Amino acid sequence: MSAFKRVQQWATFARTWHVFDCKWQDPYDSAQVIKKYLMGLHKPIYHPTNDCGDVVVCINSRDIALRGDEWRKRAYFHHTGYPGGASWTLAWELHNKDPTMIIRKAIYRSMKGNLQRRHTMERLFIFPGEDVPQDIMQNVTNQIRQLRLVPTRLDHIPEEEVQKYPKVMDYPQDYVLK
Amino acid sequence: MNKIALLARCVPLTTKLGQVVPITIQCQKISRWVAPTLMELKKREDKLGGKKVTPRNTFLEWNLEAELFAFGKRLNEDFDSDLLLEAFTDRSYVIKEEMKQKEMNIDIKVKDNRQLAEEGEKFIKEYIQLYLEAVLPKFPQEGVASIRQHLTSEDILANVSLHLGTKDIILAAEYPVDKFILANAFKAIVGALLQSSGEEKAAHFVRDFVVTQIQGKDVNEYWAIEDPWGMLTGLLAKDNTTVEPRLIGETGKNTLLACYRVGLYVDKKMISSGFGETVATAKEMAAREALKKIFGTEDHMKPINFKLEGIPKRTGHTRHQISAS
Amino acid sequence: MSNKHLFLNSGFVRAPLQNGVGRYVCQLQRIVLKFCKTHGSCRGLRDFIEQDLVDFAKQNPGVVVYLKPRRHRGPVAVAEYLNGDRVWMNLANKTHSEITKWIEVLRTQQGDIASTRLRKYQYTDHPSIQGPWTPFTFKNPELNTAVLPDQKFGANDRLPMSATEQLRLMFEKQKLEEGDVKTAE
Repeated sequence: MSAFKRVQQWATFARTWHVFDCKWQDPYDSAQVIKKYLMGLHKPIYHPTNDCGDVVVCINSRDIALRGDEWRKRAYFHHTGYPGGASWTLAWELHNKDPTMIIRKAIYRSMKGNLQRRHTMERLFIFPGEDVPQDIMQNVTNQIRQLRLVPTRLDHIPEEEVQKYPKVMDYPQDYVLK
Repeated sequence: MNKIALLARCVPLTTKLGQVVPITIQCQKISRWVAPTLMELKKREDKLGGKKVTPRNTFLEWNLEAELFAFGKRLNEDFDSDLLLEAFTDRSYVIKEEMKQKEMNIDIKVKDNRQLAEEGEKFIKEYIQLYLEAVLPKFPQEGVASIRQHLTSEDILANVSLHLGTKDIILAAEYPVDKFILANAFKAIVGALLQSSGEEKAAHFVRDFVVTQIQGKDVNEYWAIEDPWGMLTGLLAKDNTTVEPRLIGETGKNTLLACYRVGLYVDKKMISSGFGETVATAKEMAAREALKKIFGTEDHMKPINFKLEGIPKRTGHTRHQISAS
Repeated sequence: MSNKHLFLNSGFVRAPLQNGVGRYVCQLQRIVLKFCKTHGSCRGLRDFIEQDLVDFAKQNPGVVVYLKPRRHRGPVAVAEYLNGDRVWMNLANKTHSEITKWIEVLRTQQGDIASTRLRKYQYTDHPSIQGPWTPFTFKNPELNTAVLPDQKFGANDRLPMSATEQLRLMFEKQKLEEGDVKTAE
């Protein structure tokens, strides 16, 4: 192999590190996007036997958003293997115990259950907040775009900006504001 | 026969097994007899004294004259038949013949192909040098020399010779003939063609069978540049331009699989880029890439012309003399 | 691929010795026709030899033709190629026209291709015109200097315009046209 072809191959199969901000994102929708990067499906050189998956660093996993009343209704099942060892943990309970668990399970579930899945999961880093170790953050050279816009709370918008916002109509004089 | 031997070997085993309930094993249909059979055949062959080589020219259906005639016709060349026979006569064959003749007390002179091969080799080297200079006008002398060296190496010439069908026709002491004899025969054939049909025909012969061997290959691979960065800056210094390397991409900086991309800029315009596992390697590869552009041998270069007629003239304009700079 | 193909030699589609780049060389170097003068199965081959062989030899001076009569044996053609391959072909009970066609096959093929399992049906020296893909291809150069995570590269930029945003724009436009408008003040 010539020197050119060697570095060409090195570059083609180089692993890129991506960062994904989970703030206000649905973990189950995000998993469909993140999985593509983890498995290398976004690359034109993808092939199932080709080890071309990238590394994804998820941040702010504490601030994920589940739909509807899923925090109360979604249950995570676990069985210890002993009789009577079954347990159902609700999403809000699990999130309180480990804020990285819901997104991790969502991504794990989005991939096909083959032998490769556990190795692919090794390339996923999840952090509950924004503080990521420096040696990991230095590797990151790309950012995966979020699926939804992150809404801003009214009380986080400066008072001045709120005042300037256009008004569609006036309340009637006798309207009682609660 | 093999089966019987196997059965006989297993007789004590099978009698013992008879008492136990026989087990039927389901297995994939893989031909398990192939390897044992081949091994047995090899063993028998070795017992008889190794593999026997029967050269094609000892067969009943062999006519050297017809073969020599067909050899020329096949390649569309008109050889002088005596010269062609001389070209196919190897030194080892002549020695063997002389020994035989001494025993029988006769003396017939047989000429070997050493002289023809010498002439042919000289012609091949000169012509390939001129041809490469003509088709790669910007490539430096050192590079051309290394491509020429590759094309005139024993391996390449022997391969060409083999695929022209000289293997069976060569008169040698031992068969199968080795690479040196094959390459030598090819050189001698060129020498014979040079004498029988003239320089232009011989040149086209060399072009069609030897020079075409670089088709589809990267010509830069044959020339190992020691210090590409030094060479590039040296070349650009002559035009009073400076080149600026910039890191234009990196992945996985703190990992073992780190990859960098370095671009070389002249007047804020990128001239080339290179990859590497370190910044230094990437810079070196970028310099190589830039040199390829200067020499006109980049990956998307126009295909080398293999149809140049006649013997190209040595061009007057100065080429990059790397060793001089 | 059936099981017996496992014993075939595998190979790629290649022209031997860049044949045709310089000049074309017929790859058949010699052919031996073995036949019996009386055997019935040799009838077709005998007809071929009587009627067509001289023409064949004249048209292909680069092919050495050998005839090998043998008593009470079947007809056989053995073709030898420049790359060292040897093809043995049984011609028993083949008619004259069939043999003409088979000899044409032997003449035009480049070696023992029937006993090669092709690993690929195509070949190229230049698999990519633009150069192979790398992670740096089509990469936004702004990312080189960006400090990630950055909302500029992370926010979704493909959403349709929201009603709120549309309203705000309408308001801006209106504000330009008239001086006095209502705000939340």
